[in-house]
Amino acid sequence: MKKTIIQGLIIVALFFSAWFFLSKIDWLSIFKIEKLSSTTEEKLGELFWEVFQKSEKENNNPFVVNSIDSLITKICISNKIDRETIKVHILYKDDINAFALPDGHLIIYTGLIEHSDNEQELCGVICHEIAHIQQRHVMKKLVSEIGLSFLISISTGSGGSETIRETAKLLSSKAFDRNLEKEADIKAVDYLVNAKINPGPFADFLYKLAGEESEVTNYFTWISTHPDSKERAEYIVEYAKDKTANYKTILTQNTWQKLKVQ
Amino acid sequence: MINIKKFTYQPGEHEAEKASNSYLMSLVALIAGLPLPIMNLIATLVFYVSNRKGTYFVRWHCTQALLSQLSMLFINSFGFWWTVSIIFSNEIITAKYIAYIIVALIFNITEFIVTIYTAIQTRKGIHIEWWFYGNLTNLICRTGL
Repeated sequence: MKKTIIQGLIIVALFFSAWFFLSKIDWLSIFKIEKLSSTTEEKLGELFWEVFQKSEKENNNPFVVNSIDSLITKICISNKIDRETIKVHILYKDDINAFALPDGHLIIYTGLIEHSDNEQELCGVICHEIAHIQQRHVMKKLVSEIGLSFLISISTGSGGSETIRETAKLLSSKAFDRNLEKEADIKAVDYLVNAKINPGPFADFLYKLAGEESEVTNYFTWISTHPDSKERAEYIVEYAKDKTANYKTILTQNTWQKLKVQ
Repeated sequence: MINIKKFTYQPGEHEAEKASNSYLMSLVALIAGLPLPIMNLIATLVFYVSNRKGTYFVRWHCTQALLSQLSMLFINSFGFWWTVSIIFSNEIITAKYIAYIIVALIFNITEFIVTIYTAIQTRKGIHIEWWFYGNLTNLICRTGL
């Protein structure tokens, strides 16, 4: 009996030790999985961005671009994120929306800038989207929504332009999985605190939009695609409660006011 | 890994064939039931149940085949559901996953080869006890049924 137990344990130990040692090998590089997925992601990012580029007008006003760049650069530096990986595009649209596309493309609608009461609110939404990019949520969402094989076929040019348009629409208009949204919110608070930006207004923004939602639903895309905004505001407040820092503003009040009207 | 041992009695032709079939059942079902890891276990279990009143030699080998399939079920089910979650949900391919699949494959191939060898030998009436599984079978399978 004892001998059998020992033999059984040896088999189990053999299995787990083989697994442990083999998992130390960098299989992803050997099978070129990361390279394949990053090329696919790059290609998808370009394709989806082209869709928005064709249908919407980009805001290339140097003042707006530089102001938004100041905010994003500050957030990236404070959180050790490579600034080059975030490709910001500001589009003229009244919708209060911002969303991430594959390969770090971040789309911000002018409606969001106009409806943010202060830079902290805008930074909160930007941090939330950067968190989606950093946590690789965009590709995860695409894979779970339309499948890996289909994505590869799109990136290799086999997908029709209609399919690409539909998928791009999906990214701008549909929320992530509830857990991924929460993860991005929590990460956004960390990013904000690290960048010495008060996370309170981010929660206020959600409260505010949740309250106004019923009145002007048409423009509140970001809120309608991100459900339970009140609940989200509550857990953001709860999480940010213990975090204190010497909060500062990035832009001057004058610059912010000017940015809102541009 | 495998030991040729003398059985308590010399099994007859019919017994050897049935005992050998218990291993073949799992092999056939494994190929037919891929990628579902449970098919081979079900096939072996059905064969085991139908032969539970059989002779000692047949019962002994049915039990050994069943036990080996049972342990493979745990390994394969885990790998199967891990793969499913990668394809259909938010899981991503990691070095850990690839390592697991490699180890699972090694265990499966080893089991596959040993099963074929045992099926051939058992058919000739030679009694083969596997390392660990043989001892475990001796504890479970009693002569006096």
